[in-house]
Amino acid sequence: MKKTVVAISLTLILLWVLAPLCFAAEAEAAAKGSNVFYYAMAALAAGIGVGIGALGCGLGQGVATSKACEGIARNPGASGKITTSLIIGLAMVESLTIYALVVALIILFVNPFGKLLQ
Amino acid sequence: MEALHETLLMDAIINPEKIPHNVSHAFLVCIILILVALVIRKSIRLVPKGTQNFVEVITEAILNLVDENIGHHWGKTLFPFICTIFMFILVGNCMGLIPGFTAPTANINTNAAMAVPVFLATHYYGIRVHGIKYIYHFLGPVRSIFALPLMILMFVVEFVGHLARPLTLTVRLFGNMIAKHILLLVLAILAPWIIPTSILALGVLVSVVQAFVFTLLATLYLAGAVEEAH
Repeated sequence: MKKTVVAISLTLILLWVLAPLCFAAEAEAAAKGSNVFYYAMAALAAGIGVGIGALGCGLGQGVATSKACEGIARNPGASGKITTSLIIGLAMVESLTIYALVVALIILFVNPFGKLLQ
Repeated sequence: MEALHETLLMDAIINPEKIPHNVSHAFLVCIILILVALVIRKSIRLVPKGTQNFVEVITEAILNLVDENIGHHWGKTLFPFICTIFMFILVGNCMGLIPGFTAPTANINTNAAMAVPVFLATHYYGIRVHGIKYIYHFLGPVRSIFALPLMILMFVVEFVGHLARPLTLTVRLFGNMIAKHILLLVLAILAPWIIPTSILALGVLVSVVQAFVFTLLATLYLAGAVEEAH
């Protein structure tokens, strides 16, 4: 309970600190008339997005590996099957972070709002 | 990405403007697979040695996978499709590790060209095996006229889930290959010689595992479509 409260309050404080930075970038872009605001936001979004994706992946794969090690410790004879299942499970979880990475790459390099910005 | 331009060996033979890199390298993968098959066919023996042994290991592993999941009746029909996908993805991924070549599976079009036929094959074989009763697969566990709202809801959920399958198959393989490629490029600029080699070792593992995962998922989707019970 305490950890949840601390996590939520930290997120709110972080948002409160970063908000003026966003508005500063937008004001500067409006003054210049370019689309640097899009790229600033894109860099921020890519970094935070992949970071959060990697967070979930790390937790999930850690739990999977620990259960696999426990299974091997209980029954060393089945270690071949357990290792195979572990590798397949890790590939499944990793693919979720890869989806986050693909979205980050699309935002950074494919510029989906190209026409709107010209 | 324009600053990180690679020169490839194929540029000497085929113009990359006319035929994109993924197409020419996919053709190269096909040529490699056919050549290996022809070489083995010429000197085939009962107790395998060398290349025939290696290919037989792969074929037997995929045959076990298919038999275990799909069963004997449809396993024989679906096995060539699944094994071809596995070998194509395996050779395609490993081709990306060799400097001077690029992986055809690092392009989203090649992966979509493999995932969409898997999707279409699931529905084709499902309808062929079950007929019109194939729609029962989408309607969930309760199948009486009184549970009509539940059946409609389950149909919508299963529809979206089925649409997500080729998308996730494509993006999983594409993301893994392009992430490995970009990571190698960026690390080669930052800290050359030693660290990119460790990433290359990880890349070998990822290439083989992703080929197996694509094949395993394709097998499980086809098995779910042609299963007899339920």
